[in-house]
Amino acid sequence: MRQKRLSYAKYGYFFCIPFVVAFLIFQLYPVLYTAVIGFTDLKGLGNTAIHFLTSDPFRNFKTILTNGSFRTAFKNTWLIWGLNFVPQVLLALLLAAIFTSTRSKIKGQGFFKVVFYMPNIITAATVAILFASFFGYPMGPMNDIVTSLGISKDPIYFLQSKTTARGVVAFIQFWMWYGYSMIVFISGILGISPDIFEAAEVDGATRFQQFIHVTLPNLRTIMLFSLVTSLIGGLQMFDIPQLFITKSGPDNATLTTSCFIYNQAFAGSYMYNRAAAASMIMFLIICVCSAILFYLMRDKDEVALNKLIRKQEKEYRKKMKLERQGGKA
Amino acid sequence: MKKKVLSVVLSVAMVATLLAGCGAAAEAPAADAPAAEEPAAAEEPAAEEPAAAEEVAEAPAEGDNVINLWSFTDEIPGMVDKFLEANPDFGYTVNTTIIATTDGAYQPALDAALAAGGAEAPDIYAAEAAFILKYSQGDAYQYAAPYKDLGIDVDAEIKDADIAQYTVDIGTNPDGDVVALGYQATGGAFIYRRSIAKDVFGSDDPETVAAEIGAGSQNFDKFFEAAEKLKAKGYAIVSGDGDLWHAVENSSDQGWIVDGKLTIDPKREAFLDYSKTLKDNGYHNDTQDWTDAWFADMKDEGPKGVFAFFGPAWLINYTLAPNCGGEAVGEGTYGDWAVCAPPVGFFWGGTWVLANKDSTKKEAVGKIIDWITLNCTQDGLQYKWANGTLNGEGGTKDCVASGTVMAMSDGSLDFLGGQNMFDAFVPANQYANGKNLTQYDETINSYWRDAVRQYTSGEKDRETAIADFKTNVGDNLDVIVE
Amino acid sequence: MHTKKRTSVGYLIVVYILCVILALLSIFPFWVMIVNATRSTTQIQQHAVSLIPSSYLMKNLKILLGKSFNPAVGFMNSMIISICATACSVYFSTLTAYGIVVYNWKFRKAFFAFIMAIMMIPGQVTMIGFYQMVYKVHLTNNLLMLILPAIQAPAMVFFMRQYMIPALSLEIVQSARIDGAREFYIFNRIALPIMKPAIATQAIFSFVTNWNRLFEPMVLLTDKKNYTMPIMVSLLKGDIYKTEFGSIYLGLTLTVLPLFVVYFLLSKYIIAGVALGSVKG
Repeated sequence: MRQKRLSYAKYGYFFCIPFVVAFLIFQLYPVLYTAVIGFTDLKGLGNTAIHFLTSDPFRNFKTILTNGSFRTAFKNTWLIWGLNFVPQVLLALLLAAIFTSTRSKIKGQGFFKVVFYMPNIITAATVAILFASFFGYPMGPMNDIVTSLGISKDPIYFLQSKTTARGVVAFIQFWMWYGYSMIVFISGILGISPDIFEAAEVDGATRFQQFIHVTLPNLRTIMLFSLVTSLIGGLQMFDIPQLFITKSGPDNATLTTSCFIYNQAFAGSYMYNRAAAASMIMFLIICVCSAILFYLMRDKDEVALNKLIRKQEKEYRKKMKLERQGGKA
Repeated sequence: MKKKVLSVVLSVAMVATLLAGCGAAAEAPAADAPAAEEPAAAEEPAAEEPAAAEEVAEAPAEGDNVINLWSFTDEIPGMVDKFLEANPDFGYTVNTTIIATTDGAYQPALDAALAAGGAEAPDIYAAEAAFILKYSQGDAYQYAAPYKDLGIDVDAEIKDADIAQYTVDIGTNPDGDVVALGYQATGGAFIYRRSIAKDVFGSDDPETVAAEIGAGSQNFDKFFEAAEKLKAKGYAIVSGDGDLWHAVENSSDQGWIVDGKLTIDPKREAFLDYSKTLKDNGYHNDTQDWTDAWFADMKDEGPKGVFAFFGPAWLINYTLAPNCGGEAVGEGTYGDWAVCAPPVGFFWGGTWVLANKDSTKKEAVGKIIDWITLNCTQDGLQYKWANGTLNGEGGTKDCVASGTVMAMSDGSLDFLGGQNMFDAFVPANQYANGKNLTQYDETINSYWRDAVRQYTSGEKDRETAIADFKTNVGDNLDVIVE
Repeated sequence: MHTKKRTSVGYLIVVYILCVILALLSIFPFWVMIVNATRSTTQIQQHAVSLIPSSYLMKNLKILLGKSFNPAVGFMNSMIISICATACSVYFSTLTAYGIVVYNWKFRKAFFAFIMAIMMIPGQVTMIGFYQMVYKVHLTNNLLMLILPAIQAPAMVFFMRQYMIPALSLEIVQSARIDGAREFYIFNRIALPIMKPAIATQAIFSFVTNWNRLFEPMVLLTDKKNYTMPIMVSLLKGDIYKTEFGSIYLGLTLTVLPLFVVYFLLSKYIIAGVALGSVKG
């Protein structure tokens, strides 16, 4: 016991071992594989021989960056993400604030919490079928509504229009995920000490003031999580666009980068090299965007936290030393 | 401290055994896993069920007398069961894997299984029209065994069975060997409504209608004349432009790819004009195939009565009949249908059966495949399939690959007002073309159909639609576009 | 006081209207799904969206059970995968996050950056490598291939870390140390309870995701004995021209039910009272 220098750092390593081991076993090969084949001419099925592109190592990357469909996909992805993300976070925050408010308990809030999350439970394939049929042309419930209300005399080909196709995809994303974000925010708010809220209430803060000055700042770490994961999820959006309107929608209106990558690899040509290059490009873009988010929302508390850990360790070590010396004496 | 170390060791051991397990039996880690996390998971709200996990890893049945069969529906497995019933001393058991195609998992799984080989690799596998080219001639053709290596006298049997040429062409690999054949025939006919034919053309006789639409003329001139006559009486000739597409696609002289270059055959390019004509003149109900409105037209619930659908026998069995709004003559449109030859020949869909060239049971595999695809006796699959007797009397009658079998079978259906559908479908199978296909068709077709919709709806002019189509193909496929 | 009460009533009305509208929007697809489970395939093909039930429930059930659909087997397999994978990811993610938050070690920041980076890798291509690997080592049909990878769940580690930073006070850890508690004991007995709301939240998400997973199980589990519920439902689709829609919706409905049970069981941990109690204690 005595010869052991007291440091907790090693526990940090210990606790992270399972994660690392699982990564090494299950993900390392696939990830390296993806990273490497972007620089090769690997394509076609059952083809495993890897030939690096020696004369022009970045050929695949150049092909992707000059690819018109990739650019369209890139634009679409941001557009659809923006359209769904902003309302999603605002609504989720609002609902989280309402449901965690200690001032007025909403009756049946348990029910509402469950119900709002429900769209996330149902599989993307089912959602896609239901919505496609809902906006069916020339017959379909939405067209029934439109024609019976006299908004339009002739049935509207909703999913043939780029704007509505994108709008519907963004709406589905919004509708599927606001409940998820709400739950994340609720759990975040529950992590805030209730004393702070009580203090604010005693100080006479209005509901709104309390939300802005107490809830939001304390929710910052969870907000960062939400922003970053949603950015990643959004830039990797795949299921709904892929399943909703077959092959990228009217005039590629709902083609996202993930669908593009999928098409490169599976639409008939098995161009794994180009798909991998596109994946790496998206990876870099997501990294940069996330880094910006981290920087913007960087946490001063974290710096303080680090100091605290070090201080505590020092104190503890000192204390143990004292105790040991005391014991000896 | 002990507990912590134990837990860390366990979690490491768990994954380590897994690695070791790669070479040896897979059972060991399965039993460990729940045990390893049990102490840890005690705090968790989710209930553990360690006992249940015991059953997890049962090694798949292995051995020398197991044939692995991969398919995307239970159709072929059902046939093989019948084969085993009829041949109790066959000596092999069949291990079936079914993966649906609709979620896109069948091909990745099959590709991985073929590439990995070993005892679990498929011996027999099925491929659908949408992707058969990949397995018979395209990127994955190297895995397919020629039928002649399975102990099948393939050329003579194809001749005896009178298999439609398009099926053989599709199933022939680049070396000229037959590697895939089907059991269905999917040559397409013109399936029309008798009552509308009487109203407009004065007779519901297939020959009259065939003459009116220019059956076998290899063009759509008479067809559009008929459309005008139908329009005058308030009918639509087809439900949507998609109905015409399969006929147009298959009538072309060249496939989408010629020598690695994207080629738009003039007959396929003409689809732009056909689609526009249909829409501008109101010759159809402007539906898209496989949507609610398309199905509604089958039981006459669309805005205009729809005269006809283009399709093979399966369209009658699995789509028109269930959607006609009745189950006996007089209900819905049941019994009000008939078939005649289409203006241009085509085929649509179908399933092909392939064998793995690395299979160690080639002879047994060959027996099953021969029974399914080439046997034209009354004991063979196709006779039962054509007469609807595979699963007992009164089953669905379907067109089969063998012309010989259809000649000795009765294809009369109440749904068609008692007409023998084989009369129309046997010639239809001969018109179909199996030489203008590529493994990229599914993707290219969807881009083309989108381009056509853009043009027809007036969003783009003809040139832009074609140019954008070319860009899409070039961007997404490994094809030269000029 | 008087004015405050009046604004409260107005506030409540607005809140309830909003909630009811959103609730209707959420229930709508489920209603359609359940109604469709009672309708025939042709009825669904012609009008996929209907609010009025029909009378084909038993017929659909018969088709469902007649195909390769064995609810008992599917349920067991789905349960094993979902529960084990959820348990793995929740526990090990919290552990990893604890390792990152509480201890100050040399590669801490780098390791966190590494976790974030893993999270950002797009999945479509990486998946190919994973399938190839599993097939090459002949470990298909091994449920562990769907469970053990859950140990490394970067997004969850990220969430746990973000949650832990404000919620877990290091003073508590410190005082436990002074009381002589060992590090692993502190984590299990003190940190985990404090993390309950976060764990419940992530457990729900993880369970739902694993339960609904279709593509990976379909590619990796080729033996009937190992089929999960979603695989069985997808088999009903077969190919496009012979799809039994009525049974599919019935299958989907059966698949969703267990998720509700799990959600209800876990949601009590994200209701204010429970959580706040544990933080205070």
